Amino acid sequence: MSASASIAPPGRSAFQRFLSGYGQEIVVFLSIIFLFVVVGAINPRFLSDTNINSIFAGNAYIAVAAIGMSMIIMAGHIDVSVGALIGVIATIAGTLAVNGYPVWIAWLVPIIFSMAVNAGVGALVAYTRIPSIVVTLGMLSILKGGLISATAGAWITNMPAEFMIAQMRPFGIPSAVYFMVALTILASFFIKYTDFGRSIYAVGGNMEAARAAGINPERVVVGVFALHGFFAGVAGILFATQLQVIQSTVPPNLELTVITASVIGGVSILGGTGTVIGSTLAAILFACIGSALIFLNVSAYWLRAVLGLMILATVLADMARRRRAK
Amino acid sequence: MKKLTLAALLGLGLVSGQALAAGWTGGDDQQTNPLACDGTPAAAAAMPYDGGAPTNPPDRKGKKITVVDVPKLIGIGYFNATSKGIADAAAELGNVDAKTDGPTKANIDEQITFLDNYITSGVDGILFAANDPVAIAPVLKKALEKGINVVGYDANSTPDARQWFVNQAQFNGIAKALVDSMAAEIGEEGGFAIVTSTFTTPNQARWIAEMSAYAEKCHPKMKWLETVEAQEDNNLSFNQATTLINKYGDELKGIFGMTSVATPASAEAVTQANKCGNIAVVGLATPNAMKPYVEKGCVKSVVLWNPVDLGYAAMQVLRSVADGTLQPGATSVKAGKLGELQVINGSEILLGAPYVFNKDNIGQFDF
Amino acid sequence: MMSARLLRHETILAVLTVIALFVLAMLSDKFFTGENLLNQGRLMSEVGLVALAMTFVIVTGGIDLSVGSILGLTAILLGVFWKYLGLPLPAAIVLAMACGTFAGWVNGWIITRFNVPPLIATLATLALYRGLAEGISEARSVRGYPEWFFFFGQGEVLGVPFQLWILGIATVIAAVILGLTPFGRATYAIGANEVAARFSGIRVNATKLWIYSAAGFLSALAAVIFVSRVTTTRSDMGTGLELDVITGVVLGGTSIFGGRGTIIGTVLGLILIQALKNGLALSGVKGDGTIVVIGLVLIGAILVGALFDRNRGG
Repeated sequence: MSASASIAPPGRSAFQRFLSGYGQEIVVFLSIIFLFVVVGAINPRFLSDTNINSIFAGNAYIAVAAIGMSMIIMAGHIDVSVGALIGVIATIAGTLAVNGYPVWIAWLVPIIFSMAVNAGVGALVAYTRIPSIVVTLGMLSILKGGLISATAGAWITNMPAEFMIAQMRPFGIPSAVYFMVALTILASFFIKYTDFGRSIYAVGGNMEAARAAGINPERVVVGVFALHGFFAGVAGILFATQLQVIQSTVPPNLELTVITASVIGGVSILGGTGTVIGSTLAAILFACIGSALIFLNVSAYWLRAVLGLMILATVLADMARRRRAK
Repeated sequence: MKKLTLAALLGLGLVSGQALAAGWTGGDDQQTNPLACDGTPAAAAAMPYDGGAPTNPPDRKGKKITVVDVPKLIGIGYFNATSKGIADAAAELGNVDAKTDGPTKANIDEQITFLDNYITSGVDGILFAANDPVAIAPVLKKALEKGINVVGYDANSTPDARQWFVNQAQFNGIAKALVDSMAAEIGEEGGFAIVTSTFTTPNQARWIAEMSAYAEKCHPKMKWLETVEAQEDNNLSFNQATTLINKYGDELKGIFGMTSVATPASAEAVTQANKCGNIAVVGLATPNAMKPYVEKGCVKSVVLWNPVDLGYAAMQVLRSVADGTLQPGATSVKAGKLGELQVINGSEILLGAPYVFNKDNIGQFDF
Repeated sequence: MMSARLLRHETILAVLTVIALFVLAMLSDKFFTGENLLNQGRLMSEVGLVALAMTFVIVTGGIDLSVGSILGLTAILLGVFWKYLGLPLPAAIVLAMACGTFAGWVNGWIITRFNVPPLIATLATLALYRGLAEGISEARSVRGYPEWFFFFGQGEVLGVPFQLWILGIATVIAAVILGLTPFGRATYAIGANEVAARFSGIRVNATKLWIYSAAGFLSALAAVIFVSRVTTTRSDMGTGLELDVITGVVLGGTSIFGGRGTIIGTVLGLILIQALKNGLALSGVKGDGTIVVIGLVLIGAILVGALFDRNRGG
């Protein structure tokens, strides 16, 4: 749009560097602010603390899962089985909790299980060179079919109150929000300032170049999948403890929501770039849109069409921004 | 540019929202038949049998038969319960080999594939709960052509595609029970919202249409605010119900849950918002999922038939059809421990009036 | 040498399919009958048609997640044009298919014009097209089509289901285009190295536009067949179709990274999946068990292929 921005002067200010480094995050963040301002002006109840709480807390598990997914995508891979995995984790956690195991076991065992499963997936992907979409498509079938065979969808109820970690509210803020914020910050520092973290970008950018630079790309891929398993595990626990009932089914379309949050948040599907702050912001943006459409009286029949248009608008805005940045 | 786009989108959304504000969102476009406000039963017009008939079925009287039950989907509590009823009845009858199998999501295409496979494998009887009444018809007719006995339950097909349909409760009866319960709790002028699964689910769409018609006739001042979709997803139902509570504040006096997932999730949303007693939750649900809320007094009444009985009745009816003891034109049928069940609407068998669970009796049920 | 390498996976898959057919025929005497096999052909036609186009899409290194939504949108438009706008049914069919093709073209346009990665573009249109189907129809179904229309989905020609002829013809055309024409070579070239393809004079954007439009067209064709088969129109038709299609294509040996894949492989992949679904059901395995087996077979088949590759190639 503006010709002046396309030719960046050699000595750019810190602010400009910040803008170019976090362009997509800023777009998403401004969209959130924009939504809050506009919808809040139309219906002030949108800005009530209960509504803001529920927008953040009700969808924190998606943001947490999107952190892991972002790392996977940065490394040049994808996982379409994450929704099924979260369903399985929630069921294992709930089953342990109602059978009288201490709550820390009910929280930790599923997370470890999730890391182990995904490390296995990562090993298959890294050492046999099977594309991750193939392995995870297969895992999607296996986890889903296995879950139904094992539980037949029997609901889990009567879980002990101390198990319900997502319902706890230290200082009046739902604990899921703490998890979302803390894990996002931790993960971004981890990616930015540790050797392993930086090697994720290197592997996603160019595997052979990474190897030449002394990185063991196979090990990085296994590690990234295991990390993704950790985040999916935490997401599964938050998902399981939000309500008094666990459905023991695979949450419909959750993998699409998680992947969409990651890519809208600026993680390039080609690998090598992106941040987890962006994916968390995108997950929040989705939650805002979902809530805002109800507050704005958008016809329920047209809700999904409007959502699709908004995703498309965000994507195109990002593309226009990148073109300008070039 | 981006903001312009967004603003344009929001504008579009607002316009379409207003343009379609008439009527309750989520109801279907078929004819409604609201009951009388005081519950006087309408004079039942005797209808001739309008079901189908299998072509040259072998004589199955008293012989062991294999039966497959293909519900809308497997792996959810409700159809788990109907499946248990079917297994119970099969065990009691002793001469039926029954199993339940079906798609893992409520998908008409996959359901047809399952039915097709079982027709090929040569079963004697099919029990089904249709994902779509019309779409399932061709494959069911194919089963009838192969001499297979076909009986539906929970969700009907077009009548000529099956022999009998076990109706858990009439749509207008459910609608009356739900709307009357809501009116009793929130008063004649209260505002309420609806949480449903999807607008394309036939039963839910039918109930909402009947509720709308009945409310207009008998509780004209009650105010419908909005209907939201929440799939069959617990967390989404919870989020949607919470958003409704946040949006309408004191204007919202009640929430209808249209599925056994939406109702407990709505009750949970009301509980977590500390609105117990201020916002009523009325809906269809299974007693186990609702016990915590009913016992705490957050939910006063839950409407449902017993899905175990529904499966049990369906299996009993199928056996009677196979034995030839239930013939077109019959006015009732014996269904084991459930006793004599009434034939209505030509080829439907009525399970009974919907059951209303409350604080006093909910403890006695376990499903 | 190149073609030998390309066909290695297909050979493994063919052997695997034959073994599967043999074992399934052993397990159930209802499986290997003409009637059952033709019927299975009928059931796999919609997925098969879309998979042909998806093979092209994936060979270019792209993906199209919106095919199921295009199917749903076309089905709804067909019903709406006919019932609410009062068009004659043949005109409604043609117009709805034109819209479906246009929806595919829009995918290609977003991808080529704005350089949006296909996964993201079609994730967005997955929601958009399904949303349009839901909004336009207000979630209501259209029923009561005339009897002649059911021929496309339920009729037979020379004892073979009508849509199986369509699938067969489309398969031959797709195989010829991908394997023997300059367009096919351009498709492979784009998937192998898009930049190099551009420099060697291939019209990359035009080729991609054609391919995504074709995906829209075949999804629309599948929609017409599907509506005819089930005699009604619903806005949720085709939900999840994209995963079935992609599973078939990648099982058929098409590389998700682009540049590799054949129509024959896709067809073998589809046959193997359909045979497993049907044969396992006939031999008494339940649906949840069947999807576990399909997941294992998918990973296993690709794994075997990869191991062979490694042993030969070093």
